[in-house]
Amino acid sequence: MQNRLLIMGIGNYLMGDEGVGVHAAERLQQAGLPAHVDVVDGGTGGFHLLSYFEKYPRVILVDATLDGNPAGTIRLIKPRFASDFPKAMSTHDIGLKDMMSSLQLLGQIPEIHLFVVSIATIQQQGVELTPEVEAIMPGLLNKITELANTLEPEQEPAG
Amino acid sequence: MSTRIVVDPITRIEGHLRIEADIENGKIKDAYSSGTMVRLLEEILKGRDPLDAWAYVGRVCGVCTSIHSLASVRCVEDALGIVVPPNAELVRNIMNAALYMHDHVVHFYHLHAMDWVDVVNALKADPKKTSELAQSISHWPKSSPGYFSDLQKRITKFVESGQLGIFSNGYWGHPAYKLPAEVNLIGLAHYLEALEWQKEMVKVQTIFGGKNPHPNYLVGGIACAISTDDISGLNAERLAYVGQLMNDGKKFIEQVYIPDLMAIASFYKDWGAIGGGLGNYMAYGDFPTNGYRDVASYKFPQGVILNKDISKVMDVDMRKDDEIQEFIDNSWYEYKGSGGLHPWKGESKIKYTGPKPPFENLDTTQKYSYLKTPRWKGNAVEVGPLARVLVGYARGREDFKAVVDKALTDLNVPVTALFSTLGRTAARGLESVLVAQWGLEFYDQLIENIKKGDTRMAESKMRDSSNWPDKALGVGHAEAPRGALAHWINIEDEKIANYQLVVPTTWNASPRDAKDRYRLMKQLSGIHQSPTPNSRLKFSERYIHSTPAWPVLYTCMMKKENTLTASAYWANNL
Repeated sequence: MQNRLLIMGIGNYLMGDEGVGVHAAERLQQAGLPAHVDVVDGGTGGFHLLSYFEKYPRVILVDATLDGNPAGTIRLIKPRFASDFPKAMSTHDIGLKDMMSSLQLLGQIPEIHLFVVSIATIQQQGVELTPEVEAIMPGLLNKITELANTLEPEQEPAG
Repeated sequence: MSTRIVVDPITRIEGHLRIEADIENGKIKDAYSSGTMVRLLEEILKGRDPLDAWAYVGRVCGVCTSIHSLASVRCVEDALGIVVPPNAELVRNIMNAALYMHDHVVHFYHLHAMDWVDVVNALKADPKKTSELAQSISHWPKSSPGYFSDLQKRITKFVESGQLGIFSNGYWGHPAYKLPAEVNLIGLAHYLEALEWQKEMVKVQTIFGGKNPHPNYLVGGIACAISTDDISGLNAERLAYVGQLMNDGKKFIEQVYIPDLMAIASFYKDWGAIGGGLGNYMAYGDFPTNGYRDVASYKFPQGVILNKDISKVMDVDMRKDDEIQEFIDNSWYEYKGSGGLHPWKGESKIKYTGPKPPFENLDTTQKYSYLKTPRWKGNAVEVGPLARVLVGYARGREDFKAVVDKALTDLNVPVTALFSTLGRTAARGLESVLVAQWGLEFYDQLIENIKKGDTRMAESKMRDSSNWPDKALGVGHAEAPRGALAHWINIEDEKIANYQLVVPTTWNASPRDAKDRYRLMKQLSGIHQSPTPNSRLKFSERYIHSTPAWPVLYTCMMKKENTLTASAYWANNL
């Protein structure tokens, strides 16, 4: 049977902390995960990702946000609509919010758990994370894994 | 006395772009575009293994996720003298064709159509009339009165839910929308169908590239092995699936996209006289059929047209020192010397001298953008679908002439109407038709080769760096959906010594050059600002509708404040 839980990291790998979601996806892949979980590096690709949201009833998303909180702040939110997403979700304009809007239009929104990591600026170059964000990575990965473990494979998503 | 208006960021593009324009007596007097974000990929790549470059540059953009990787493997192969096997060329062409088909349809429906199609007005359409109209313009099966009536109910419910999502902040009801309700309803229906369709189309990239976004590429060929009876490889079932996707994609373009494009265009013919742009067009060409080095074998021919003179097409030589050069007179960089630099000698040392953010206005008398100013023999040129179609047409290619002449006849407009927003929008559709046809030709050829027993997908000898020369120069070019793209590489001691990307948006949105030529003013001056109370918003709408040089910006704005919805996304902004 196909796996029913997807972890997807979003971000631009070339823009420092903006790529935190992609870094998380990579590290989770390397670390190994429960058998019922798939991991995808979603890059910044908005519309390209739609089919994943159709395929999996549950998705854990990880993305960067410029929400004014100290860099490295991790929040878990459960968005139901595109408008529930934080305002400044990273820089990819045709990104997650548009994709959510589209899913909403198609009536296919899966159960989404969104980890947002606050970053200080998007004016960064390079493939490395800043020390502030690097420092929270183990905690972030733990939180994601814990959540993935609580979302049992047999259990159908509520609502 | 003029007023400065700022539109930042332009949205529906990948990356950040800012426009500042001076308005006098309701008309645009002068305008400037500024790339305010920088990634400096050139620095990230320095010192790395040339064989890995494709993986980094693939991340430049989340929209055209594979085209930078294609340009990258080509530049390394060019430097090392690698000729990829025929199957690899075919698979790359199929992947690129699928990218075009996906990208242009998404561009038309999801980024651009809402500038022409009034969603709310569509709810007033008569489903029966809509059905008759739909059946008169296409054989597409989903066209019954019941289909359109169900759709109206669904959208009404959606609108009533208050969560308008992607349709929020639209200018629904604005007099600039000119379509009858029935055409609006067809446009809306196909917006939704295209959203479903595009999920399928991208699978071609996944099948050959292993994943999407950012599929895998390989210097020397393609990173997947053909093994017709192995369930894990590129087997017969997977190949047949590609064939089906390419066929379905072609059908959607021919039976949905093109009829809609023509129907919508017929109500906006005035846009055939707006947005002429620079009048200079350049294409590097793409879709080789006899190797990358044989430019004459390309399905998209290369060439330059100056001053809208389609009786002359000039050749482009990307290796020549004095043809393509990048200038930084108005860009936040510094060069060791002065003047323009050919990308093989290119430098990317940032020197930001703009105001400290947050700021009101850029000082556009000084440097004002992270984009450099590329020129071909000193000329600013437009790249993109219109440039490609014009070059193909002017080169006398029969397939181009057939689709272009038919469209001009059907719309009853003169050939000069091509030099416009309408022409640019039409060109995107017309080349989609061609690319979809070519895609199937490539596919058939691939199957034929495999049947003959040729399953070679990569040339690996030169992947071993002990076979490399101490120094090598290469250029890899491609036609991205947004326009001419090229990467230039200098390899020294098995590492990347220099890597320069000149991307479509650098051509289309560069700051002015030292001689103050070809800035936005030339293309926009005299365009009226709409006389509405919220002049800022309306200005933006008109402005963007008319921003002509770019395959990126035409649209009205759908977001609040000074955030624009430019229909189109930017390949990226560096």
